[in-house]
Amino acid sequence: MADAGLPFKLITPTGVVFDDNVQEVTAENPIGEFGVLPQHINYLTSLVPCVITVKLADGGYRFFVVSGGLAEVKDGVMTVLASTAEEAEALMDGDTASRGLVAAEERLQNVSFYEPGYQNAVKAAQLARARQRAVQMRGAAR
Amino acid sequence: MATLKAIRRRIASVQSTQQVTRAMKLVSAAKLRRAQEALLKDRPYAESLSRMAGSLLAGQKMEAPPGARRSALVTVITSDRGLCGGYNANLIRHAEEQGAELRAQGIEPAFFAVGRKALEHFRRTGARLAGQQINNTPRLATLELAGSIAEMMLTEFQSGQYEQTAVIYSEFRSALSQRPTYEPILPVHPGEQPAEGVAGPTEYLIEPSRAELLPVVIQSYVESAVFHALLEAEASEHAARMTAMDSASNNAADMIARLTLEMNRARQAGITRELMDIVGGAEALNT
Repeated sequence: MADAGLPFKLITPTGVVFDDNVQEVTAENPIGEFGVLPQHINYLTSLVPCVITVKLADGGYRFFVVSGGLAEVKDGVMTVLASTAEEAEALMDGDTASRGLVAAEERLQNVSFYEPGYQNAVKAAQLARARQRAVQMRGAAR
Repeated sequence: MATLKAIRRRIASVQSTQQVTRAMKLVSAAKLRRAQEALLKDRPYAESLSRMAGSLLAGQKMEAPPGARRSALVTVITSDRGLCGGYNANLIRHAEEQGAELRAQGIEPAFFAVGRKALEHFRRTGARLAGQQINNTPRLATLELAGSIAEMMLTEFQSGQYEQTAVIYSEFRSALSQRPTYEPILPVHPGEQPAEGVAGPTEYLIEPSRAELLPVVIQSYVESAVFHALLEAEASEHAARMTAMDSASNNAADMIARLTLEMNRARQAGITRELMDIVGGAEALNT
């Protein structure tokens, strides 16, 4: 059982994005970053827009940017439900990611806390930040 | 009896109609295939989510905020375009029936119209209209639309404007059968724990806390339920249109066959008449 690995599923409303045995998964919830190893206790949390790092069984890495969602570990199986998930490999290049981040943060600066669009602007900025991070991590992993 | 020329013209007109219906049938068939695929792909997400929501909410009851108005927000999902048989008529009839039932319980329904057909109907009847969302082309089932409907439902529900919300959509059962369905969304009552030998709900370590997680789960749950309804509606619409256009093409073929027969008869009658004239003329010369 020790090296059985961690079955990990990443599911969005438009399909199953990832489904395999992995070594480790890291993601981010409102408190901060957390990692899940095999044999984790049953766990339920929400995710902020972030990068999900998956350490594959062969030691390689894959990065997914999710726009928030829910993560669950149940009976040793980890399931992430995200409204959208994009793989870092398919992501834009670094320049576009940085530009997206600058634009999103600018927009956030211009929205006051009391406006209805504030929460969306925060999310958009978090997502842009996650995208840029994914691009950097992808670069570092190569 | 119609003249030969008039019949020929009618045949040509029916033929061009048939071309149109045939093309629409093919287009709908292709769109139906895509919509069905999307419906299938949503299934793992919807199932996992309702399992999670089920174990988190197990034993708890979500109630409307105290002092909520005795009214219901009913989202009716129809199509923007017609030529899909009884699809929209069935949905609207179902919506009216549900509305009457709610009124009988003393609950005032307000309708949120998705699709031009629902909007036109509720405008005509003067029903209480909570909002509208039309021009959902080329695709109806998008996450953006599901998200905005879900958000509206949640805010209106939490503000006590409505004590319940629901969607009416057409459930896609097969390409030949779609059934209007009324699905209550809020207050949330996820399905009972599946009786797969599981004793009681799963104990979880929950972060940040149950109270903070609950709204996130509920929002995702509502979004997913609305998205699912949109997917079903989209598949049903294309299926209904495909069936309607198929029978329209068949009817056109029947009509062409009938008109062709009539045309031949008319032509033969003309020839016979001319022959009679000639024979009559010859007879007259001979005598």
